[in-house]
Amino acid sequence: PERSARVAKVRPPLHQYIRKLLFSDLDKTTIEHVLRQLRKLPWSDCEPYLLKCFMKVYKGKYGQIHLIASLTAGLSRYHDEFAVAVVDEVLEEIRVGLELNDYGMQQRRIAHMRFLGELYNYEHVDSSVIFDTLYLILVFGHGTPEQDSLDPPEDCFRIRMITTLLETCGHYFDRGSSKRKLDRFLVHFQRYILSKGALPLDIEFDLQDLFAELRPNMTRYSSVEEANAAVIELEEHEHSVSADKANSEKYSDSENP
Amino acid sequence: MFSVGFEMKGSSDRTKVVLRHLPPAISQETLMDQIDGFADRYHWVTFRPGKPGPQHQSYSRAYIDFKKPEDVIEFADFFDGHLFVNEKGIQFKTIVEYAPSQRVPKQWSKKDGR
Repeated sequence: PERSARVAKVRPPLHQYIRKLLFSDLDKTTIEHVLRQLRKLPWSDCEPYLLKCFMKVYKGKYGQIHLIASLTAGLSRYHDEFAVAVVDEVLEEIRVGLELNDYGMQQRRIAHMRFLGELYNYEHVDSSVIFDTLYLILVFGHGTPEQDSLDPPEDCFRIRMITTLLETCGHYFDRGSSKRKLDRFLVHFQRYILSKGALPLDIEFDLQDLFAELRPNMTRYSSVEEANAAVIELEEHEHSVSADKANSEKYSDSENP
Repeated sequence: MFSVGFEMKGSSDRTKVVLRHLPPAISQETLMDQIDGFADRYHWVTFRPGKPGPQHQSYSRAYIDFKKPEDVIEFADFFDGHLFVNEKGIQFKTIVEYAPSQRVPKQWSKKDGR
């Protein structure tokens, strides 16, 4: 049967220009130039398309993602609405990825994890957003009838999502409350990892590298039972700390009637 | 539909919510009509249209920053689970949640002199 030739998509010149800037011109030597050019665009017309292109980080080189994060931070000074939208959008992409768990989307989902981590590195999201995302990935869909399709028992993709995010920005969680938050998360993460049983070697090596880099002295539990006990201990400790806090508040209340 | 560990809780200072799983083809006007009763209780709203059509369909979304944390609770009571039915009879059940990022645009975003 005859088939008509595939018709190439015709894009408006401004869209073509945006694509050229982001997908072929952008590198670490041209980023200042690209930022200036983006600022010169007619923003009210271009903003939705620009947002769409920023979400296509997975089309470029993986090592370029930090440049898009840097552009986001650079634009926030003049177009804060846009920068806020970029963050909302990447978090939505991550969430939709969990809802669909579509094999064909894996590459872009990994790129979005990296993008989120880079947005943290450029001080464009708070650590609380990073930790909420990490926990969301651990628990999403669990305890529902869809659990086996959303996070199949033998599927290690969520581990890859988490290692990607922590490889990108985990080294900043090395002091104060964010250090404690990462310590806590890694215990929960270990329990999740152990629930998967035997891991493919590449995943296991990534994990070894991650722990060696972030917490070289942390205990790696070897059974689900050990990890469960560690989580319970953690929770009891947190419980007693918050009870102490409540008590001391009561005490100070009675001091100051 | 999905149970998520991020239900609306009391005693919070968060004010920004996201409306998810809105019909792909819904217009901003239609949505705003539905939440008219809250019109004076938020100071920022942004609408993200979805993508209708058979391939790569995606839901519409909206982000709203309320003036007070209590407004969020009331709004969620009112609108979480709200059903939209499109012309083909397909139902869309709205999800209202705290937005994972609570940032909203700064009012003083400068005009770019470029």
